[in-house]
Amino acid sequence: MNPELITDNLSYFLFGAWPNGGAMGGLLLTLWMSFVACILASILGLAGGIALTMGSPGLRAALESAIAVLRGIPVIMLIFWCYFLLPVLFGLNVPGVATVIAALALINAAYLSQAVRAGLAAIGPGQWHAGLALGLTRWKTLRLVILPQGLRIMLPSFINQWVTLIKDTSLAFIVGVPELTMVSGQVNNREQVYPLQIYLFTAILYFLLCAGLSTFARQSERWWNPRHKGARHA
Amino acid sequence: MTPPLWLGQTWLAPKYLGALFSGLLLTAWLAFLVCLLATLLGVVLTAMTESRYLGLRSAARFFISVHRNTPLMVQVLLWYFGVPNLLPEEAMLWLNTPHTLALPLGLEPAWPSYEFLSAWISLSLYSASFIAGELASGLRAVSHGQREAARALGLRPWQELRHVILPQALAYVRQPLIGQYTGAIKNTSLTMAIGVAELSYRSRQVESETLLTFQAFAVATALYLLLILASQWFGHSQKPIWGASR
Repeated sequence: MNPELITDNLSYFLFGAWPNGGAMGGLLLTLWMSFVACILASILGLAGGIALTMGSPGLRAALESAIAVLRGIPVIMLIFWCYFLLPVLFGLNVPGVATVIAALALINAAYLSQAVRAGLAAIGPGQWHAGLALGLTRWKTLRLVILPQGLRIMLPSFINQWVTLIKDTSLAFIVGVPELTMVSGQVNNREQVYPLQIYLFTAILYFLLCAGLSTFARQSERWWNPRHKGARHA
Repeated sequence: MTPPLWLGQTWLAPKYLGALFSGLLLTAWLAFLVCLLATLLGVVLTAMTESRYLGLRSAARFFISVHRNTPLMVQVLLWYFGVPNLLPEEAMLWLNTPHTLALPLGLEPAWPSYEFLSAWISLSLYSASFIAGELASGLRAVSHGQREAARALGLRPWQELRHVILPQALAYVRQPLIGQYTGAIKNTSLTMAIGVAELSYRSRQVESETLLTFQAFAVATALYLLLILASQWFGHSQKPIWGASR
């Protein structure tokens, strides 16, 4: 074991070549990609789940098949596709970071829209009937009655999906994005002596991030949502 | 009508289709071995989490948490680059030299590369930590009254497990287990990073040799979809091994 190996390269692990005037990298880039992709995936997933609940049969069928395809291929293949198609679609050079964010947002939105649909369905028809009986439109019932209850039920699914997304940012190195896993590989190639130590350190950083998020989420859920009160069937 | 420029000029030559197909076979074979080992380990882990000994319970919980909360990619790299450092030199030498195992019927399986072995181990440990979770929630889904009823009938603990708990728990976990197995198929794509020539690796290889990006990725994507849909269909079409279906 050689602790200097980690301390000497610590800034590279955490920020990549950024402090030396290069592009942002390392743990910071992992955090940044995760943050943006999580927000995009959550918005798209919410929209997708609502469309699966409220949309016309044609729209629902189209969405269902798109989701089935997204769930049927590995994330790496999706990253390849985005890497190849985004520049074709937009006619300009799309940086690797944006490619990976797009792929991760898409695949996680696919999973989340199914969780959102299930969460909305779990509210039960009684709440819909009550909203409509009060003279609310379908959309107002959704916004004022169903969503406030449904979001609480969905929260655990969202957090699980965010953890999955953070872990999947490690696939970005396949297209040469210098996030934490890629940077660890570079340190490993340079040092050539202590691969176990390097990758263990990387794993610990990811563990703190993911386990921290799950624990924090479980705590806040308990505080925010004691025993899913009132969120079951009417 | 000429195809659009980005589609390239030609379709893939048979040689490249063959390369993609060999990638598919390796993906399927690796995924099969992973599902096998992961299920065995998952059962052991579940038994540990249900154990009466605190040490076993905490060890299993630690294992599961560590494997679920770190990226599979890092675990694969750790096994591929890190573990050889821990093993004695002779062991690595032995692993890297081909050995033959003569089986009856003239079968001589090829000696697996260290890439393949480390991929198999790391993917199996990762999947096992998720399968253990599914199995444990399957056990928990069987209501407590069922256990009490079994005990009231005078069944021994193993009889209770064999005739009352497991048939119901297995019916609960069928769906989630199929999900984990298809997840394992998709996870094999990560092993391209350590040079296992599975389907994703082959698609990248074909793409860079032919520059027919669209064709290479389209064929690989179609093969993945076929493999995953076929295994889902197979999983649902099987009669329950044990006990009632739901």
